[in-house]
Amino acid sequence: MKPQNPLASLHRRDLLKTTAALGAASLLPGLAGAQGGAKKFAGVTLNVSTFSAAYPKLLQQWLPEFEALTGAKVNFDTPSFPVYNQRADLELSTRGSAYDVVNVTFIYSSRWINSGWLTPLDDYIRNANLTAPDFDINDFLPGARAPETGRDGKLYGIPWTAEALLTASSRFDLVEKAGLAFPDTTDDLVKVLRAVNRKERVAGFVADNHYGWTFVPYLHAFGGDVFRKAPDDLFPTLDTPEAIAAGEYYANLLKEFGPDGAVTYQPDQVTQALKLGRVNFTDAGQLHLAQLGDAATSKTVKTVRFGQVPKGPAGRFPGTAVHGLGIPTGSKNKEAAWAFIQWALSKQTTRRAVTAGYGSPARRSDIDSPEFRQKQVINGSDLAKLSLDAIESASKSGHMKYRTVSVYPQVDQQLNKAIELIASGQLSAKQAFQQAQANSIAELKRAGVKL
Amino acid sequence: MTLASRTIDAAELALSHEEGAGTDLSGATHRARRVPWLRAHGRSLTVALLVLLVLSPFLWLVQLAFKPAADIFEDSLLFVPTLDGFLSLLQGNFVRSFWNSLAVSTMSTVFSLLIGVPAAYALTRWKFKGRDRIALWILVTRMAPPIAFTIPFFLAYQYLGLQDTLIGLAIVYLTFNLAIVIWLMQTFFEAVPASLEEAAWIDGCGVWQAFWRVALPLTAPGLAATAVLCFIFSWNDFFYALILTRTNAITAPVAIVNFLQYEGWEWTKIAAGGTLVMFPVIVFTVLVRKYLVRGLTAGGVKD
Repeated sequence: MKPQNPLASLHRRDLLKTTAALGAASLLPGLAGAQGGAKKFAGVTLNVSTFSAAYPKLLQQWLPEFEALTGAKVNFDTPSFPVYNQRADLELSTRGSAYDVVNVTFIYSSRWINSGWLTPLDDYIRNANLTAPDFDINDFLPGARAPETGRDGKLYGIPWTAEALLTASSRFDLVEKAGLAFPDTTDDLVKVLRAVNRKERVAGFVADNHYGWTFVPYLHAFGGDVFRKAPDDLFPTLDTPEAIAAGEYYANLLKEFGPDGAVTYQPDQVTQALKLGRVNFTDAGQLHLAQLGDAATSKTVKTVRFGQVPKGPAGRFPGTAVHGLGIPTGSKNKEAAWAFIQWALSKQTTRRAVTAGYGSPARRSDIDSPEFRQKQVINGSDLAKLSLDAIESASKSGHMKYRTVSVYPQVDQQLNKAIELIASGQLSAKQAFQQAQANSIAELKRAGVKL
Repeated sequence: MTLASRTIDAAELALSHEEGAGTDLSGATHRARRVPWLRAHGRSLTVALLVLLVLSPFLWLVQLAFKPAADIFEDSLLFVPTLDGFLSLLQGNFVRSFWNSLAVSTMSTVFSLLIGVPAAYALTRWKFKGRDRIALWILVTRMAPPIAFTIPFFLAYQYLGLQDTLIGLAIVYLTFNLAIVIWLMQTFFEAVPASLEEAAWIDGCGVWQAFWRVALPLTAPGLAATAVLCFIFSWNDFFYALILTRTNAITAPVAIVNFLQYEGWEWTKIAAGGTLVMFPVIVFTVLVRKYLVRGLTAGGVKD
């Protein structure tokens, strides 16, 4: 190995540090000003935890810029989704100070916000000394801000991802060959599946076996709902004729058109099955579906087509999922944490992420940007537009309110079980959904919900 | 097949015993006798099939570790092997997690033996009030599910600053390792005649010297078996590590689960990590297998 000149190494390090600081400052002039100048948080160590996903990974790469700008040191922890949720739930419930910034997980947002485990961000946003003028909270989609808002009307998380549940056909060429169009309604879907099922050994339909997420758009489409009127009236409504009809319809999609073991498919298996062209149709989150456009790993990149989830007798109700960054009540570095959130979700950083290929931004300006729109057109389908329409529709109708109810996970489990029981032929739709209703009521009572 | 053809006469039975196939009294023995090749290789073939059956999950995992990411879900076993999965592990934080696992498991095994072996010796040799109850209460730590201990540990560790530390995790593993050490080592100490230690006392040894110089060497195979079990239990733990670590003390099992990314699972990394994680346990077990067999079967037959 060549001996190194220590001075040369020192110069290189200094140069890198200076460059990073200059780069960060030029990227975020507003933040530096709002935080009272550079290095305001020198000596502060921030503990940030989110689950591992594309956006946090980009932030991890760019962390040195934030550290150079503010002087803070950041420990950025990104475990997997289930690991993160388990740890964060436990940590927040003990009001611990281990984390300064956390991901406000969609399915837990109501529980975490309404239990007082997160800090309201409104005062920080309004404070011109703490928030850069160009941060522009209204640029975040209203449909993305809604799940991060408490019943007190205060905002507890700034969204970094707003994702929609869309329908995809990996072998749309088979549909075209059958002389049919992309299915728009639940009836169309069955018609199309009957025409293409098992053609060229491609199964018709499969979905992630988290049916509390993938089935609910169909439940809504048939005129049913999870609760009587979430979040105010949480009486479950799983035994209504509409819910039973939806359950029968959906389970039959899996039974009649699904591949072997259809009820065991996890999200990643669904994506892989579609990438390999083994299954034609699915309903999945846009971040998973966008991978079908990856020419390096997808064999169906030239035959894929996307659309909204089908419209039923009661209308179209696409599912959405939002995750945001928030500050735990127990954090001892709240100002520095807010500086981090601002940096992580500033217009400059989110645009940079979109340019780097990030696929589900929550800022309207990013979604409308040419950088994003170009990348989101996959084989003629505009994924960005589909997603935006879905999120706006959810925002207008409020049909996603069931999802952020703190006790939804209990009902979620019952929905998963019910669809599995019907699809595997163990119970009729009526029996399975009546059982789900009775079990949900018992679970909610156990959780202290007054029905 | 007729009833008559299934009947085995005494001569055939004796012959089959002589040939070492006495346990197989079914029609397979008759068929084996009729087909010379099957008679010669039948048993080896059966054993090979059983071994293959047992090893199939491991073999599947290993082949997955060498598969290119794009072919992960292809059924074909024919592919161009790649080291991408292993190389990406080396570039990430997995190596650190692996060392964490090694350090924690070793520390916990050592702590468990240091505390548990003298405790087992005392419970075996010394008669005192409540001796049986103590042993039983120690076993309770193995009976209760880990979740029963997790929350108290979580809160205590928050207070003591032991969260996300290797030493903290090693201490937690004592909850299940100590019970194993004490109960297993009690059996081994019971198998050592007390008269040997009494002879040592007469020769001038103290209690500790008799323990150290006489009882402990005689239970070496048991000690090795116990150490291996402690190491494996610590190495394989996921639950405690999941709750009590954050970034610094993450162990390999937790690191592997972290490859379940939100947008998709990193199968090659999961498989490569799984393959690497198996490796130390296999090496360790192979190294001490002689003692392991002796240790685990000791006391099985009364003299």
